[in-house]
Amino acid sequence: MNSLLAAGTSPEFALPSIEYRLISPILLVLGMAVISVLVEAFVPRAHRRVVQLVLTFSTLIVALILVVMLAGQRAVTAAGSLAVDGPALFMQGTLLVLALMAALLVAERGVDPAGDAFAARANALPGSIDEREFTKRGWLTTEVWCLFLFSVGGMMLFVTGTDLLILFVALEIMSLPLYLLAGIARRRRLLSQEAAMKYFLLGAFSSGFFLYGSALLYGFAGTVDLGGIADAITANAGQNGLLIAGTALIAVGLFFKVAAVPFHQWAPDVYQGSPTAITAFMASCVKVAAFGAMLRIMYVALGGVRWDWRPMFWVIAILTMFVGSIIALTQTDVKRMLAYSSVAHAGFLLIAVVATNEEGLAGAMFYLLAYGVATIGGFGVITLVRDSTGEATHLSSWAGLGKRSPWVAGAFAVFLLSFAGIPLTAGFIGKFAVFEAGVAGGAGWLVVAAVLASAIAVFFYGRVIVILLFSVPAADGPTVVVPSSFTAFAIAAGLSLTVVLGIIPQPFLDLAEKASIFVR
Amino acid sequence: MNISSTLASVVASGQIEASNIDPSVNAPAVATGAFSFMWLLIALPLLGAAILLIFGKRTDKWGPYLAIAMSCGAFIVGAVMYLTMLGLPANDRPVNLHIWDWVIVGDFQAPIGMQLDQLSIIFVLLITFVGSLIHIYSLGYMKHDPEKRKFFAYLNLFVAAMLLLVTADSYLLLYVGWEGVGLASYLLIGFWQYKPSAAVAAKKAFVVNRVGDVGLSIAIMLMFVTFGSVTFSGVLEDPAAANESTLTWIGLALLLAACGKSAQFPLQSWLLDAMEGPTPVSALIHAATMVTAGVYLIVRSAPIFDAAPDARTAVMVIGAITLIFGAIIGCAKDDIKKALAGSTMSQIGYMILAAGLGPVGYVFAIFHLVTHGFFKANMFLGAGSIMHGMNDQLDMRRFGALRKVMVITFITFSCGWLAIMGVPPFAGFYSKDKIIEAAFGVNVIVGAVALLGAGITAFYMTRLWTMTFTGKSRWTDDNKHPHESSAVMWIPMAILAFLSVVAGFMLAGAIETWLAPVTGFEETELAVSSLVMECASLALVVLGATIAYLQYRRDVPLVAPQHVSPLTVAARQDLYGDAFNEEVFMRPGQWLTRSMVFFDNRGIDALVNGIAASLGGLSGRMRRIQTGFARSYALSMLAGAVIVVATLILVRM
Amino acid sequence: MTASSVLAATSNSGAEIVFWVCATLAVIGAVGMILSKKPVHSALFVALTMINLAILYVALSAPFLGMVQIIVYTGAVMMLFVFVMMIVGVDASDSLIETIKGQRWAAIVLVLGFAAMLIGAIVNGLQGVPDPSLVAANAEYGGNLQGIAKIIFTDYVIAFEVTSALLIVAALGAMLLTHRERHTPKATQEERSKARFLRYAATSELPGNLPPAGTYARHNAIDTPALAPDGSTVPASVPGPLRERGNVRPVDVAAEVEVEEISEGKTVVAPINDEDGEQR
Repeated sequence: MNSLLAAGTSPEFALPSIEYRLISPILLVLGMAVISVLVEAFVPRAHRRVVQLVLTFSTLIVALILVVMLAGQRAVTAAGSLAVDGPALFMQGTLLVLALMAALLVAERGVDPAGDAFAARANALPGSIDEREFTKRGWLTTEVWCLFLFSVGGMMLFVTGTDLLILFVALEIMSLPLYLLAGIARRRRLLSQEAAMKYFLLGAFSSGFFLYGSALLYGFAGTVDLGGIADAITANAGQNGLLIAGTALIAVGLFFKVAAVPFHQWAPDVYQGSPTAITAFMASCVKVAAFGAMLRIMYVALGGVRWDWRPMFWVIAILTMFVGSIIALTQTDVKRMLAYSSVAHAGFLLIAVVATNEEGLAGAMFYLLAYGVATIGGFGVITLVRDSTGEATHLSSWAGLGKRSPWVAGAFAVFLLSFAGIPLTAGFIGKFAVFEAGVAGGAGWLVVAAVLASAIAVFFYGRVIVILLFSVPAADGPTVVVPSSFTAFAIAAGLSLTVVLGIIPQPFLDLAEKASIFVR
Repeated sequence: MNISSTLASVVASGQIEASNIDPSVNAPAVATGAFSFMWLLIALPLLGAAILLIFGKRTDKWGPYLAIAMSCGAFIVGAVMYLTMLGLPANDRPVNLHIWDWVIVGDFQAPIGMQLDQLSIIFVLLITFVGSLIHIYSLGYMKHDPEKRKFFAYLNLFVAAMLLLVTADSYLLLYVGWEGVGLASYLLIGFWQYKPSAAVAAKKAFVVNRVGDVGLSIAIMLMFVTFGSVTFSGVLEDPAAANESTLTWIGLALLLAACGKSAQFPLQSWLLDAMEGPTPVSALIHAATMVTAGVYLIVRSAPIFDAAPDARTAVMVIGAITLIFGAIIGCAKDDIKKALAGSTMSQIGYMILAAGLGPVGYVFAIFHLVTHGFFKANMFLGAGSIMHGMNDQLDMRRFGALRKVMVITFITFSCGWLAIMGVPPFAGFYSKDKIIEAAFGVNVIVGAVALLGAGITAFYMTRLWTMTFTGKSRWTDDNKHPHESSAVMWIPMAILAFLSVVAGFMLAGAIETWLAPVTGFEETELAVSSLVMECASLALVVLGATIAYLQYRRDVPLVAPQHVSPLTVAARQDLYGDAFNEEVFMRPGQWLTRSMVFFDNRGIDALVNGIAASLGGLSGRMRRIQTGFARSYALSMLAGAVIVVATLILVRM
Repeated sequence: MTASSVLAATSNSGAEIVFWVCATLAVIGAVGMILSKKPVHSALFVALTMINLAILYVALSAPFLGMVQIIVYTGAVMMLFVFVMMIVGVDASDSLIETIKGQRWAAIVLVLGFAAMLIGAIVNGLQGVPDPSLVAANAEYGGNLQGIAKIIFTDYVIAFEVTSALLIVAALGAMLLTHRERHTPKATQEERSKARFLRYAATSELPGNLPPAGTYARHNAIDTPALAPDGSTVPASVPGPLRERGNVRPVDVAAEVEVEEISEGKTVVAPINDEDGEQR
């Protein structure tokens, strides 16, 4: 019915039924994003930060409450373009929790003596007199809050959309603000701008693939609706090049967003260059959103041809796990190392996509939550370790941090242990759930490969822990700044969630399992 | 509204199946009565550790006594369990206490539960009994240490973790205990962390143990992939159902884990350095209990090794190598604790060897483990007592003639000495000779190695005993007035010495019947009578002891002679264990990649470096792809797109 | 064969000819955009592609889309590009020398392989695809525009609405990266005038206007300094940031010689129109 070709039965104009209650969280976030643009325009500079903070946090919290109230709903609304179902709501909830934590990091103004993590004015040339003047006056780029909210809204839409058109629009709403946010770091601005430029160029390239793939799938099915594509596959089970090519190109677009090898190369550069708070946001939330959309497309629309795309996913998953883990071994920059670690995690998560079963979906949702909280916590710690030029991200300057700041180093060690999948941390349960689903889904050897890759990964996480806790501290090492309660709260939340999800995961696993049915 | 989904599997209702474990024929009975208080075993010491650590300095005064009470309480609980178990018929003895469903992911269930059977109760008694004695001993030994409270907290933590390890009902929970004892060991080795040597030793122990842990985690994952379960009942029920090569891999992974924890070749290097910790720690953790966890792991996994003969042979060979290795190191060390550590390594080699013999040996592995726990703890406490009296002197070349001033220590130590040599009727005689016999029954070469080991053991132990207690005094100025330790220290020593004498006699014969339902037991068939064997080994022991006595009875130079045989030099260097690691693992790694210089400089243990370095070389090469140019990234994406399309088309064709 | 089979369904050989001509031109435009060295040429090539796509839309009975394509893309977007390039003065100054070994060859091989596989797959997939023309749909809704309107405001209303978020982000981003706010109030004309004459009193710096960049020079690009009547350059005519970064284009020797010849009367040149009194 969504087709341009097959016209509807009635030419009269009938308003589509939109159940606004079901999509109220998304509408709230996007609507408040628009309002926050107005705040930029009309509120005096001195009050903008406070207003934006109140607006952002209250929006995210209210949206989270709305999502929780919608729990258990299963419906397709807005003329078949949005599917409010278990996975969508679970991932919206995850996104909002992670976004709240990331927002705490973004709001931090206590660790950098010059202000927050963002350039005073993004358009002042790096190193110019203007820049110094803006900095001296303590101006803040409060536009980050508008961009932040837009991006969160795009992500929520991305995990909810159930036709290719809305998915593409959501992809862009999610990505565009991130391209901007990546480029406006206060420190090392040229690196930040370079990162943003690369992210933008390559992101546009990948969007091209996604769009072309959507067009080809439309050519195959005559509809962009995911359910419609599935029906077309059932009806037209024979050989079809459009379907194959469309599947491939859509997958390429999504692989880029989740940073799967060989579409991952932007990740280290961008993670390193972006303001660390934004890196935390990007690393956790984009992964959730992109995997949410990938799972929905691959399960709902393309589940019927899973025997065709599974081998390709095997190849990419194995490449991703191993290349990510192995390159991470020799990284000397903490942010780059976490970037490669995130690449490796994308590989583990791809197993859940390959599994194409209920356990796979539930496992991936749990994994994303576990990975997200640890990621934000980890990057939160990175913002605290500073020297005179800003964050000290070189691994050598982290040596022996445990001696001087046992709490901070201990927290970081817990996050790394969770990444490594050591028992009693959230990461272990997540990995186990995903691996188990992989075995159940007939991908036993892929899981064996994943276990080997995890063993390699344990080495580099272990290496950092050893450097952190057992090395002799460097004489002129960086100091660990005492943050304001924003960052402290974010790290504490990450830490407690990581431990709680590791020790009493069952309620969360049950929740994920209950939510693990797509509606179409 | 069309509420359905594409995939049949996703359509399946989201309800969780009831998480019942399939009842199986030999599954342990559900714990009732006294057994339902099994959790107290772990809870008591854990509570002690928590109180001492959380309330900090406020507990300084009464904390140590609380820790002792908790440990003794655990012993009492263990004893009650044991007595209850005694009253049950053999097949009803294993009991399982289900505590909590930790994780249920699809088919995978990780219930948390405790299992107590004939094997674990032995460990429970050993750990809580020796542990409590050492707690009491520490009261005297650590009397003047400002951090005494922390020490007792760690000891309690260790006892809790070790009890968790041996009462876990799944490999997963065992792994938690395994990591827990590793943590406690790390904390206690590095207890005097202001000494750089202690900090380095702790680090080394930590890193080498992680290598072993990788083995355990691989084994657990393989088990899950193969059997779909990680509980003992699920895995060990019918391992023969899996194919043999998988089982061999699981077995080898378990062996790697055991090598790490039990300081077996080639992961033995950390144990000698671990002697930097306080002596009660060496006695409890690095002699009596933790280091024997590897033996427990292998005996517990007996059905796997029974079904994978190749893995079992590997266990036997590792045991045999370490047995000789440790003994040779023990011969050359002048540091009394390091000589004892070499001996520990060697004696655990005996146990591992026995475990590698199969059903003829499992029982004796545990038997020797128990007797060794008594006599080695006894000797370590004796060494601690000597250090206490000699102003922390460790070098045996500065001892001599101590029998006159430290009479009690001399007597207790001598009991241990006779026991470890295997002189009848001391404890070691019963357990060690059984192992030698069983080894001869399986393979003559292995038997000969075990026999030779007995001779060398006699040599180095007599050397130690002679240098310490007999001859002239070679005391230096700073410790002219050695004295006997206080009662709080010698009473535990006396109890252990008593057990070193009688334990073998008491347990011989009984332990076979006790353990047979769990581990299986077969009598060894030997061509010659066991009396001949006993005589042969006794003859070797007497020979070794006599040579040592004659050589060290007279003047011992204060400084170790430099012009000595190459073997002595090698043994002083721990038989080049560190150098071996360095040459075989570290150097090629360094050669492979310069990019790892940073990593190497940190002096992380050599083995880790080696493996990581070769991966690092690969990594160094791979990261060159990351040029920093956006166009090159775009090219890589295009290549990826080609791969994706090509794979899809290939599958269709 | 396939494209013809697609269009054969329309049984309209005219449409087939249009398709082949326009499709070829569109591809030429796309390839030319990538290969041409001058940005302006690239922009014009894109315009070529857009126009041909527009014709294809019209040929497929989607006249509204065709018109929008021309008005928005060719008319607005591409012309804006060209304006910007002209104003900023970008010419082919970016180095096009490839520094990564094998990059170009690998790219060519991969592109050809990718294209071959995609074409193969699409050709395979086009078997039996129905008539792509919108004639029937247009007839149903009473016109192309009505049909699009119906679909936008029913089936795709959410996508349509949230696109506004995208546009807001784009506008906000452009503002964020380019909008220069002042940290100090702008000086009034009076203040600036006073300051200029005070400076003149203090340093004898002339209060008049500086020549704009490129005056008398060979380029009018913003990084080319103006030439004074005596042939020397006026560095102050280039904007400060460019000077700070050392991006001032040196006046080449030929130009200096030429200026010298002019000043010595050796070369006859047309009189310069200086009625606006720009030069001092």
